[in-house]
Amino acid sequence: MEHSKQKQYGSSENKETGHSSVLNGHFDGTVKRPAAGPSLPPAAESGSQRPVMESWREERTRSVEDNEMSLPSLAAAYTTILRGLGEDPQRQGLLKTPWRAATAMQFFTKGYQEKIIDVLNDAIFDEDHDEMVIVKDIDMFSMCEHHLVPIFGRVHIGYLPNKRVLGLSKLARIVEIYSRRLQVQERLTKQIAVAITEALQPTGVGVVIEATHMCMVMRGVQKMNSKTVTSTMLGVFREDPKTRDEFLTLIRS
Amino acid sequence: MEYQHDIEINGEDKYLNICKHNGLFEKEKDSKDDTDSNKLSHIEKAYTTILGELGEDVDREGLLRTPLRAAKAMQFFTKGYKETTQDILNDAIFDENHDEMVIVKDIELFSLCEHHLVPFFGKAHIAYLPNKKVVGLSKLARIVEIYSRRLQVQERLTKQIASAISEALEPAGVAVVIEAAHMCMVMRGVQKMNASTVTSVMLGTFQDNPTTRKEFLDLAIRK
Repeated sequence: MEHSKQKQYGSSENKETGHSSVLNGHFDGTVKRPAAGPSLPPAAESGSQRPVMESWREERTRSVEDNEMSLPSLAAAYTTILRGLGEDPQRQGLLKTPWRAATAMQFFTKGYQEKIIDVLNDAIFDEDHDEMVIVKDIDMFSMCEHHLVPIFGRVHIGYLPNKRVLGLSKLARIVEIYSRRLQVQERLTKQIAVAITEALQPTGVGVVIEATHMCMVMRGVQKMNSKTVTSTMLGVFREDPKTRDEFLTLIRS
Repeated sequence: MEYQHDIEINGEDKYLNICKHNGLFEKEKDSKDDTDSNKLSHIEKAYTTILGELGEDVDREGLLRTPLRAAKAMQFFTKGYKETTQDILNDAIFDENHDEMVIVKDIELFSLCEHHLVPFFGKAHIAYLPNKKVVGLSKLARIVEIYSRRLQVQERLTKQIASAISEALEPAGVAVVIEAAHMCMVMRGVQKMNASTVTSVMLGTFQDNPTTRKEFLDLAIRK
């Protein structure tokens, strides 16, 4: 299965240098990721573990046409929900709510329609720069996959280029692609780090996300001020405490 | 009285109030309990459809019980429909010879936008000028909870809170200010991160007397 997928892509991004050598084997090379859904060929691995390289080849699970075709059934589902909650879907304020809510939900999960390779293709440049590059305070909005309630916060990304740098807004775009999905914060952090690693093969990548989970604030334990912080450190960020320290100090300042 | 027409604005409110006055409310409540689990399973099925249509795999581990969790969460976010001001206020109104302003500010508020079913949250500041009757302070926050845990529009929410306090206490004046961030504006659409919406309702002395209003705004809002 992997061989046929490799042929599909012929892009120069995934040469022999591949994924494991740059990270010095510290990364175990596998990452749990959500199964891609019905559009994947049935012969794909059935388990949730897949090699890291796969994120480049992630098939889109949705297209713009799919969105339009799903809208009526999404709207019908939302009408059922409104009725189930005891509201009157015919009152003026709620008349078009099912459609609005359906479109909103499709927007909140638009990351399923996008692929990293589309967003990054042209913005990788050869630069002889090997000092840390940090983009911090990237606002992030996601949806909790357990309660379908928003998560929002900030993402801080740092990487040590290895002859190749990335257009800065592309880091924010990677965050967008992965956060506009039904997510778990731990997985989101890892996916962002892995995508940057695969795109640039840098010496190291660090991603820190601090977010507020509405499922904890609006319901359940109802702790208003709590924040969840997750981080992924790859390559030299993981091995060298001084590099990690520098990164963490710079994102705090 | 000018407050009465507010009951009609949120359709559900009108229904509950009429039933209550006619003594039908109790019976309705019993039959509603029977079908509550029915409703939960309808909402759950609706969420399963939604997950499928969004392109996700409903059978993957993280999503297995999501429809149920999301349905329960949504019921929690709209629990205000089942509650009435009368239930929570009945015992906590006291006769006090106090006629100075009472303010409860920075009451956290979480509601759902009725147009997009997306949360909006912020703070409510409430003030009233008692007229021989004061109310337990936490009851003001409970009134906010009742009306905010519904599908709302911020303007209506503000008015409903003010009306409820007016009807319960008949004070010389009531003022309610709500400042909230709407996720439907932050997470989608115009995507303005820092915008917040402020609505206010001033009744009685707060409306007629600018000095009273100014005193409230200075005490509650200005840092």
